[in-house]
Amino acid sequence: MENKPSSFVDRQVVPGDVVLDLSKMSNQTIKIGGGLRQESDFITVMKAGKLRFSKPNKYWVESSQKRYVPRVDDTVLGIVVDTKADNFLVDIKGPALAFLPVLAFEGGTRRNRPKFEQGTLLYARVAKANPGTNPELSCTDASGKAAEFGPLKDGYSFECSTGLSRMLLSSPTCPVLEEFGKKLSFEIAVGLNGRVWVNAASPSTIIVVSNAIMKSESLSGVQQRIMVQKLLDRIQ
Amino acid sequence: MEIDRADGRSPNQLRPLSCSRGVLNRAHGSASWAQGNTQVLAAVYGPKAGTKKNEDPEKASVEVIWKPKTGQIGKQEKEFEMVLKRTLQSICILTIHPNTTTSVIVQVVHDDGALLPCAINASCAALVDAGIPLKHLAVAICCCLAESGLVMLDPTKLEEEKMKAFVYMVLPNSILSVLPEESSSVKGEQMDHGLITSVTHGVMSVDDYLHCLERGRAATSKMSDFLRRNLQPRLSSDSSMAG
Repeated sequence: MENKPSSFVDRQVVPGDVVLDLSKMSNQTIKIGGGLRQESDFITVMKAGKLRFSKPNKYWVESSQKRYVPRVDDTVLGIVVDTKADNFLVDIKGPALAFLPVLAFEGGTRRNRPKFEQGTLLYARVAKANPGTNPELSCTDASGKAAEFGPLKDGYSFECSTGLSRMLLSSPTCPVLEEFGKKLSFEIAVGLNGRVWVNAASPSTIIVVSNAIMKSESLSGVQQRIMVQKLLDRIQ
Repeated sequence: MEIDRADGRSPNQLRPLSCSRGVLNRAHGSASWAQGNTQVLAAVYGPKAGTKKNEDPEKASVEVIWKPKTGQIGKQEKEFEMVLKRTLQSICILTIHPNTTTSVIVQVVHDDGALLPCAINASCAALVDAGIPLKHLAVAICCCLAESGLVMLDPTKLEEEKMKAFVYMVLPNSILSVLPEESSSVKGEQMDHGLITSVTHGVMSVDDYLHCLERGRAATSKMSDFLRRNLQPRLSSDSSMAG
């Protein structure tokens, strides 16, 4: 049985594993992220996944699920479910519906409130996410500008796992998107909550890009490029 | 006093285990668990907002629906639902998402003995697939006692019907830990000797019961390993066999 905490980093862990012993570590502040829980002197795992560590002191468990756990400053794609007096109720695939205040838009006042129908797709930012309360969204960035947030018109949206959305948003650019970007012209919005929106001039472009993205979760970078090449050869 | 089991297993041998996760498209988490011919499919939806009337809104609640292979839902199914619900409530961390409901739906695909342990294993794998926060995993096993006093693990339906008594037990899985062996203290002891759920049928003496518990505990390390290996990077259906 190894005692070093580094022995668990980058390894697959399951719920219940004790990964850190705080009494052994010197006086340092550790930040624990998703999937980990503090039990007096130990840090134990709550979700199955890979334990990750980033300097100087952040630990978290990387896992991919169909549902989303809201975190502040994440950008998500939500669907409007209902309109209340002060808020829109938006479904972001989390444990509770999110509230989007009617004023949280650039230049939003009580006189010019946006009107969203049920089913409108919105690109928004999570402003507040406390356990036990409904998360709050905002369609402006921290300084109050619109910055691409707001409703998304036309196009096609589909759901994916949170792991796939993280891969699509990673930098350097994900191989699927990079290869498509060389030959086709399309617009894409990725929500960290497992929703993706694709828009292009022709429906066939939208379809080929969406299908390729849905298939690319389990493929490596090289396999993704080969798949995209085959698809592009077929349609051109 | 060796009893020959119909399928040639030794008294301590489990049937081949098989588990696939992510088998259902719509469910937020799903798993299919098979022990020999007994197969159960579990689906997890949630956490969803809102709790039922007589549930505590300060905690998450777990709802279980048991669907038998044939026939209407009766008392036996209600009993299974209750045992499963209590077991899952003790392994889920209920304080993380208060005022939500997680639904677990269990569908019996085939019953060939040790049905409830198989369902508990399937539900636990489905909860992990859905990303519900858990304190630790649970491993369930069935142990039966023959007239002659012989204790056998994981009986088939025919063996179960002939036995004097049997025990379904659910134990926490074995965990990897950075703590050294010596400092087992309270936490270690709980993990080594913990028992989450125990359901018995028939008549057995206390000594026999404790003997069954010992045998079950010894077998859980194998099942824990199988479960741990199965929870490795999963990408849709990925089944693995273990003997």
